[in-house]
Amino acid sequence: MNIWAPRASASTTQSAALAVAAVVMLVPAYTLPVMHLGILGQHSADTTIFSGVVQLWQQGLGGLAAIVFTASFLVPLLKLLGLAWLLLAANREKFRRRRPRLLTRIYGAVDFIGRWSMLDVFLVAFLCGAVQFGQLASVQPRPGVAAFGAVVLLTMLATHRFDPRLLWVDVPATPRTT
Amino acid sequence: MQPDEPFVTCPLCGQTHAAPFLKPGQRASCVRCGSLLAEAGHLGPQAPLVFACTGLVLAVPALLLPFVTLSKFGKERTVLLTDGFLGFWTHGFAPFGAAVLIAGTIAPFGLLGLLAALYVLGKRNPAPALLPRLRHWAHQVEYWAMPEVQILGVLVAFFKLGSVVNVTIGPGLYCYGGSSLFTLMAWRSFKLRPRERRPFRAAAVATS
Repeated sequence: MNIWAPRASASTTQSAALAVAAVVMLVPAYTLPVMHLGILGQHSADTTIFSGVVQLWQQGLGGLAAIVFTASFLVPLLKLLGLAWLLLAANREKFRRRRPRLLTRIYGAVDFIGRWSMLDVFLVAFLCGAVQFGQLASVQPRPGVAAFGAVVLLTMLATHRFDPRLLWVDVPATPRTT
Repeated sequence: MQPDEPFVTCPLCGQTHAAPFLKPGQRASCVRCGSLLAEAGHLGPQAPLVFACTGLVLAVPALLLPFVTLSKFGKERTVLLTDGFLGFWTHGFAPFGAAVLIAGTIAPFGLLGLLAALYVLGKRNPAPALLPRLRHWAHQVEYWAMPEVQILGVLVAFFKLGSVVNVTIGPGLYCYGGSSLFTLMAWRSFKLRPRERRPFRAAAVATS
């Protein structure tokens, strides 16, 4: 029987709830358009996160496409996988006992990479604020950017709520040391 | 580095340590989990204040001067730092506009103000509860400050815009870049204790 201290339980429960909400929001984030680009005399189109990466690639900007792909696809997925592993380890003794140092490093990595997913949100915000030439050229946000922004904020909150000390409960602390 | 308090508790594993005295360039790591607890910079004790104040000075032109200038078919448009927020706000995405404003503008500049206040108040022996509270706020604000991500987003936008409109970088963007760099340097060099977490009743977590 697990006897969880209230705070430990609250930490994992809240973190798990936020992570699950982020997973749910991933679907509209990746399928709905994030912005609409309209230019006079040219085809105006909605852009999803994936089609934005493809456009950069087709323009010959492979490096930028890789950056956007990493920040928009890999980072959120890796964050959620890392969080899932950490939550599993915090709840199951056999997962955490053998490698709390590794798990703590994973927590540090998830904490560090979290903010870089905001890249696409800043990108769309800047374009929407900057490209406002009326009929000539304009960029408007679409619901996908709200879903993607929610994914980023929810995963950051989930990481923030997770208490990494839960990974060390089985390892006795060394006496107070210098 | 002379510690403020006698003990430092690792925020990642809960191990308590006697606060270390560090020489310039030295780092202190947790004996249990290996995470970095404290770091003493090479640049002297006033460097964090210098970085924070420089960042704050640069924040003013970053807010007021043109970020970029765009032109299309003879029409010209000057964009300010806060126009990203307005772009979301005016199209009905107010909460996300607010998130962009907080992460890209309010939190970075607020962090600089908090770091400068921490340094100045730390020299003047304020009320005992004030400094820990300010430190706590500095950590909270730092988590949501993302100026470097905003700069990368704007740079990617330049390449996307290259085929649509003509783009000229304005002085506001250079000042914002400088302010972001000094925010990072001030945060790295500031004598801060690790992120504080509420006491954790680890002993109550047991299996049977």
